[in-house]
Amino acid sequence: MVTLAISSAWLLRANDGAVLYEAYYWVTRPLQPGISREEQFESSYILELQQRIVELEYQNRTLQTLSAYEETAAPGGTWAAVIGRAADHWWQHAILNRGSRSGVAVGHIVTGPGGLVGRVVAVSPRTARVLLISDPTSRVGAKVSRSRSMGVVRGQSNNRVVMEFFEKAPDIKAGDVIVTSSFSRLFPRDIPIGRIESIDLTQSPAPEAVIQLSSPLAILEWATIYPFEPQETVDLPVIPGAAPDIMPEDRP
Amino acid sequence: MTPTARVLSLPLWRQPWVINSAVTVASVVVCLLLLPSRVQGMELLGVSPHWLLIWVVAWSIKRTQWEGAIAGLVLGTLQDAMTSPHPTHTLSLIVVGVLTARLQKQRYLQEDIVSVALIVFAMAVIAETVLALQISLNQLISADSLYPSLGKIWLYHQRIALSSAILSSLWAPALYYPLNRWWDRYSPSS
Repeated sequence: MVTLAISSAWLLRANDGAVLYEAYYWVTRPLQPGISREEQFESSYILELQQRIVELEYQNRTLQTLSAYEETAAPGGTWAAVIGRAADHWWQHAILNRGSRSGVAVGHIVTGPGGLVGRVVAVSPRTARVLLISDPTSRVGAKVSRSRSMGVVRGQSNNRVVMEFFEKAPDIKAGDVIVTSSFSRLFPRDIPIGRIESIDLTQSPAPEAVIQLSSPLAILEWATIYPFEPQETVDLPVIPGAAPDIMPEDRP
Repeated sequence: MTPTARVLSLPLWRQPWVINSAVTVASVVVCLLLLPSRVQGMELLGVSPHWLLIWVVAWSIKRTQWEGAIAGLVLGTLQDAMTSPHPTHTLSLIVVGVLTARLQKQRYLQEDIVSVALIVFAMAVIAETVLALQISLNQLISADSLYPSLGKIWLYHQRIALSSAILSSLWAPALYYPLNRWWDRYSPSS
């Protein structure tokens, strides 16, 4: 009896609780939101668009060649509803109602109204588990859209994240837009993350900035999953001279 | 016909131990499915009740330490399946199972819902502390730890331990009362 209980629990753990999440999908099916809830996020969309404009304006100004600019948000993302949250208190997860049957795989990128949400860390046939960027163990390579200062964004379990810069005196000010950098191996570049809320230049070893996420992670109901292959090799910097030697350590 | 013979002549699916196991497993599954949900009014600061902890307390309260430890191991493994095995939840739930069984509630405490709520409150704090200790240890010994600094871990621990303890103890009777009634009815001695 005891062996049976332990071995079945172990079996469930071995496949990442896929059976449980499948069951959860079916139990919560009547509660999952309908299609027409997207208007609620209109203001977040506007914020995202504004941030995208800032990013695009910069790219125009620096006359980047068209070939250097890859389309970041691949067309053909999958819409998914958020049907659950982390099953304990230490993790910041979201459970989406699309899984491997819809072509979702581990490593895919999840964005929501407002910008980056996280990446898929486990899938079952009909659900996907997303590690949110607000999780304390999440690391995203990021840059300041205006000045190209590089850094790493790490979660703090709430709607604010901390960005650690690589330089001692980065060119930043409150309100600057933060997007994912091209040094990030787990995320495509130029996806809006948020805005700088406050700056702490006295932090050691590197200055830190508190960033207000533009995506409302706490009340998120819908998200889009984009296919993305995590890069093994880091691609070359777009702008010569703006490349620090350090690479952001993303969480696998 | 003696009662034992009558029980043995029943078809398998109507035998008491089968029904008892089915109800026990079903209650665990319900707890597991409640974990990822954030029902309105059931959460506090983004934290929901720790259903598995309530289950382990309800199970261990009238059983031995070993039974409590095994329940903690099984449910902890299940929670690992639903989140991430590092840090493991088995350790905290085993501690909870053993401590609850050691309390010897029927000897020292009154059999009522308030005392169960109090035990759950204390055990929720202990469980989160065990997890925070694991994270701190990982942070201290591994150089490339992904976890934040110790100060932040323990600040976060305060917040979730308190809200988890309050919520779990408030919801404990909802799970403890029916389960306990059931196990009393189907205990092997009767």
